[in-house]
Amino acid sequence: MVADGHDVLVPVGDSETLRRTVTYAVEQAHEAATESGVATTVHFVFPARWRIFETDRAAVDAANSLLDRVVTWAAEDLDELIGEDEPPTVDFESGTIGTGEYVFSPADFADVVGRYADANGVGRIVVDPSFRPGGSAPILRSFEEELANRGFDVLEAPVTRRTRRRLPFTDIGAPEFALVFSTSFLFYLALGGWLVTDPYELLTGVVTAGVVTLTLARVALKGQLPKLRVVGMSVVRLALYTPILLWEIAKANVALAYVVLHPRLPIDPRVVEFDAAVWGDMPVTTLANSITLTPGTLTVDVSRQHFLVHALIPDAEDDLLEGTLERLVRFVFYGRESARIASPRERLEDTEGENP
Amino acid sequence: MTPLEIVATVFVVVGTFFGLVATVGIIRLPDLYSRLHAASKSDTLGSVLSLAGLAIVLGLTTESMKLVFLVVFLFVTSPTAAHAIARAAKEEEVEPIGEGEVPWTTDQEEGNS
Repeated sequence: MVADGHDVLVPVGDSETLRRTVTYAVEQAHEAATESGVATTVHFVFPARWRIFETDRAAVDAANSLLDRVVTWAAEDLDELIGEDEPPTVDFESGTIGTGEYVFSPADFADVVGRYADANGVGRIVVDPSFRPGGSAPILRSFEEELANRGFDVLEAPVTRRTRRRLPFTDIGAPEFALVFSTSFLFYLALGGWLVTDPYELLTGVVTAGVVTLTLARVALKGQLPKLRVVGMSVVRLALYTPILLWEIAKANVALAYVVLHPRLPIDPRVVEFDAAVWGDMPVTTLANSITLTPGTLTVDVSRQHFLVHALIPDAEDDLLEGTLERLVRFVFYGRESARIASPRERLEDTEGENP
Repeated sequence: MTPLEIVATVFVVVGTFFGLVATVGIIRLPDLYSRLHAASKSDTLGSVLSLAGLAIVLGLTTESMKLVFLVVFLFVTSPTAAHAIARAAKEEEVEPIGEGEVPWTTDQEEGNS
């Protein structure tokens, strides 16, 4: 790990202690600069959760305005440290990183940040303790640990957080609570008949939904609450997708029945690997389950967007690599424009052409 | 029989047929992965068709509502369960019959360089 100079890198994300983290990073860089007599640079990087060709304008704008704000804060802090007219000891750079890939877990984020740090010769990373890219599931190593494992000097900014008052067993906010509660309550009422007016039933419904929400809301909802319009559009497109899927399932079963009942058992089992152009929990799950339900294919393993598929009947592999299902799933979750994409077979041939 | 009952009967009969196909498939197919095909596909359609047939007979009632919920949940859980079994088999390095190599460790596990 090259740590020439005393440059500092700060991964930036929306968090309530960001302002004080910036101050701390600037102080660190200033101290290093005065000790060594060489100007240092503070790199503010925003690890993106989108991919450059799937760009959501709103997310990009939010990232850029956050970075602008951070640089302004840093300049203010530096002015306070050295006085208005002194020559500046610290430079600032800012940028968005990780737009070329799908970053997911803390390890992915650490990879992206680490690569940037290596490329720019930064050895010291200041992390904001309340910025948790990739989540903070207990089974995963934290972002800080992942970075420290990669040989960086990781400093946690000494910032204090406001304590938040929480409902027991949860750390969810009111909108999440309301969403899970109303869903489970409506489901309870639906099971009891649509028009329940009996106060006893309503009361048991409230109690049941309350218990479900308190214990399971964290499992039911992951990350930020999705926007209603996006979900609405997806639901409408999912309704269009369902008949196509049902038709595929019918075909799959006729094909399988033919194979199974044929005296010679004409199967051609093989294992197929491919990278799907979908990402995120819901789209990948939908695609994986759709593959399992359609002719001759069964999803064996998925890691990020790499699919391992077992194909049973002779034409199954071809169907899969034609990418019809993939296009449909992209249509459901990303809209009509995104559905026009090269099939997995064409993409496979392209990459083979590039690196023979 | 009313036409609706005839439709329902057809659904249940076809559903039962696919249930039978699933059973025959599990017995006849050669390895774990192939058998999962029968278990995940035919079984799903078999139960879904039978339940749909019953829902048609019951008409628009709370009971048929529950059957519809069952259909939806089967569509979600059945492939997921098949995937879980297939994945467990892969982790245990169960060798499939046929062409193609199973990569026992994925790129991700080999380390991010």
